[in-house]
Amino acid sequence: MTEEVSKNTSSQTRSKLWVDILIFIAFLVTMDPRSSGLAIHEWLSLSMLAAMTVHLLLNWDWIIQITTRFFGKLGGLNRVNYILNWLLFVDGTLIMISGIMISESALPLMGIHLPQGFGWRRLHDMSANLFLLMLGIHTALHWNWILNSINRYVIQPVVRLFAAGTKKDASA
Amino acid sequence: MKTLGRIFIILFAFVLLSGLMVAAVNAAGINQPNFNSEGGRTEFRPQGGEEGEFPFRPEGDHEEEGRGERGGGRGGFGWIFGAVKNVGVIAVLVTLIAWPRSISKNKKRTAAAP
Repeated sequence: MTEEVSKNTSSQTRSKLWVDILIFIAFLVTMDPRSSGLAIHEWLSLSMLAAMTVHLLLNWDWIIQITTRFFGKLGGLNRVNYILNWLLFVDGTLIMISGIMISESALPLMGIHLPQGFGWRRLHDMSANLFLLMLGIHTALHWNWILNSINRYVIQPVVRLFAAGTKKDASA
Repeated sequence: MKTLGRIFIILFAFVLLSGLMVAAVNAAGINQPNFNSEGGRTEFRPQGGEEGEFPFRPEGDHEEEGRGERGGGRGGFGWIFGAVKNVGVIAVLVTLIAWPRSISKNKKRTAAAP
């Protein structure tokens, strides 16, 4: 039973790590529309809504736990993390909705034409820059988890693979 | 079923926030049509002509099609600079926040050790 629970937690952590890595790479690509091109920027951003939903689903237990305990006994770091995560959600929504409002590629392709304006454009740029800063703080607050997970699920398996390969060579 | 419910909650929060933002922007009048205002003088910039025509462009602003201000204006290895800049911002923040935290944690650990 305990082994099964630890196996589930382990596979969930692995999923979290890979989803987070994918989101991070996608974010870097979408942050530079001049290089990636507008079509990739818009479609990738829209697909990130699904990725962010998966990210939230994988961390659902933590969200519920902290929400119920927010006004009770809770460590300072957890409180800061929770507020920052809400700010990220609000800012992410603003990026998404302002991006939809100024869409030049994805929405017109779907036959949707919205009246464009400078306000949404400015909001889109500002919220994206703010998101970068908040993502930096979010990454910093989870830095130990990131290092431990990468070590456990990326580096160690690769090292084990090479070690097994050299053992096989030596025995041959 | 549980997961579907959770997805619904996330999307509901997203739609609710989006609606509030659109309402706020419209109420504040932040969103203006595409007019350039300089010293009280407004310059009309139409968004495009009839179907098949190119949108209005000022003299000397003839960029390659699809490579406008928001489009792919940087070719070659330009994307590396953008990615490095963004990773750099995150790296600086991680160094400023995570490093002092790990140092203080190590200090606490060594102080607690007999």
